[in-house]
Amino acid sequence: MKDEPSERLDPRAKVVWRVSGALNMLPLLAGAGFASYVLLRWVEVSVFIGVLPLLGVLAMAVFSVIVVPGLRWRRWRYEIRPDEVDLQRGVWWVSRTLVPLARIQHVDTRQGPLQRRYGLSTVVFHTAAGANQIPELATPIAAEARDRIAALTREQDEL
Amino acid sequence: MNSEAEPLLRLHPAAMVIGALGTIRRSISATVIPGLVFLFSQGLSPWTIALVLAGLAVLAALAAVWGFLSWRATSYGVVGGSFRLRQGVFQKSERTIPLEHVQSVDTVQGIVQRAFGVYEVRVETAGGGTSEPDASLPALGRGATEDLRRGIEGARREPVGAERESGPEVLRRLSTRDLLVAGATSGQIGVALSLLAVGSQVFDEFFSEAFFRNLVDSLAPNALVLALILIPAVALVAWLLAIAGTVLAHFGFTLSREGDFLYIKRGLLERREATIPLRRIQAVRISEGFLRQPFGLASLRVESAGYGEDAGVSAVMFPLLPFDEVQALLREAAPEFAVSPALRELPRRALRRYVFRALIPALVLAAAGALVSFLVFEASFGLLAIGLLPPFALYGWLRFRDAGWALADDRLVVRSRSLARVTVVAPRRRLQSRSVLQSPFQRRLRLATFGTEVASGGGGSALEVTDLGFDDARYLAVALSARADGRREREGALP
Repeated sequence: MKDEPSERLDPRAKVVWRVSGALNMLPLLAGAGFASYVLLRWVEVSVFIGVLPLLGVLAMAVFSVIVVPGLRWRRWRYEIRPDEVDLQRGVWWVSRTLVPLARIQHVDTRQGPLQRRYGLSTVVFHTAAGANQIPELATPIAAEARDRIAALTREQDEL
Repeated sequence: MNSEAEPLLRLHPAAMVIGALGTIRRSISATVIPGLVFLFSQGLSPWTIALVLAGLAVLAALAAVWGFLSWRATSYGVVGGSFRLRQGVFQKSERTIPLEHVQSVDTVQGIVQRAFGVYEVRVETAGGGTSEPDASLPALGRGATEDLRRGIEGARREPVGAERESGPEVLRRLSTRDLLVAGATSGQIGVALSLLAVGSQVFDEFFSEAFFRNLVDSLAPNALVLALILIPAVALVAWLLAIAGTVLAHFGFTLSREGDFLYIKRGLLERREATIPLRRIQAVRISEGFLRQPFGLASLRVESAGYGEDAGVSAVMFPLLPFDEVQALLREAAPEFAVSPALRELPRRALRRYVFRALIPALVLAAAGALVSFLVFEASFGLLAIGLLPPFALYGWLRFRDAGWALADDRLVVRSRSLARVTVVAPRRRLQSRSVLQSPFQRRLRLATFGTEVASGGGGSALEVTDLGFDDARYLAVALSARADGRREREGALP
């Protein structure tokens, strides 16, 4: 097994993850704001304790929006070899997954609204035991990867 | 419309009765509550009772007519390489399933079917889910069932004339004694307990609370005595229920094989017959339950995949047999899975991770217990929870000791324990993806978790080795690659 797969995701992935991370944090922030409000207004704890929920969630949000996407992008690597697809991902829990092309049943590309805005796509490939994906590739590169996986899969079938 | 040479066949006439009973059951469950409300709200006058009875009679008559009509409208057959089913009284439908998409032909014989000596036949394809069969024929006679089975499976099999005549060879039967032992050690007491809980609520409705209080007061004035009587009694009933459940499901369990198909027959009230094509078996699971391992007993399951993308089942292959005889049975039933190599153990440094992981719930409990008892009761009895630590640590050690893996003759063998000790055997060519996962703690100890999966019902079934050496994990990931697979297949293609 090589030390690391060769290809990286598109650098714009970080932007997409930041935006989607921020959007995901919104409800949590609202909840924490409400909790702080309740604590201050009705429970009447001191200001320092009352703002704790809000501050905590705010710190979490800053961390997950600013720090994590960078780390995540640096770790995420992939490589499509003639016999298998090699994926490496994870910020703290690092996982390395090898998917034999001979087991891939079909591939497709997907694009969410946010991804469309930044011209990114996700390649999803399915085996009989579930799906794997390479997220956030520039759309033309994703299309190329999809076609390459499909072609290689066919080749494996003919062997 | 359809003018092919082979005509479609009708169901057994018992289908009319079975269909009618089904209709009645469905409509009764929908009307029983409004009906009862009506009955009681009017006061039980003879007139309302007559009205309700008349309603029931009309319902029965309608159901009978409907049963007849749908029997007349239903026909099936194997025509030109596919199975056809035509149904529907008003809305006609015709389903065609290509024979190569048929996963198995299973039969179920419920109580009503047994009364008529007919079978419900389910033609399962791999496209649909596992719960709902793709085509279900509610009543076929014994002969028609066999004919249909041969019609569908015969087309897929190599015609081996002599062997076909001999019928399936019985590999193993579950004796009544083993059946009872299987029930007693099934460890399904939890399930039975929850059933009891539901049952007790129904029970409550029938007996007044005062009756209970009297009973309790006279029997056991002391709460402790009551608990001492009640807890073992409830446990005993739950245990008996668990045994009864196993007996119902697995009575007369028979595993047989004919050519490339395994046949499983089981059931006391509802007789079931299932087919498992050997080439669809992805993995075999040998499970030594917590209560069974001391007696050297195990059970066998197969993970079998469907056609195409998903579907497939995880089915009991044999509910109880001595662990020593597992390999012999596998050699006859599914030789590809009959290996028991010496397993590689985990490195010593993984032990503390196993013990720590097992201790986490105990630590949380102990901390919470201590906190609550100090703050709320201002006493230190919460520290008693510390007594939980040794058994949990022991459990962690057991899990460490029993974990292991081996790669032998292109087959991956993984053993692990949750409560039961489970050994999974999967040929390399069945493995889907492989992954090596490493947490920050594992990285410090140069450990990793290796995982792979086989296709099975509900997406996939995982095989995992937690905390093996990082180098071993990488070795497995490489050694199990599909590359050697391609080479072997090409060699296999040589005459």
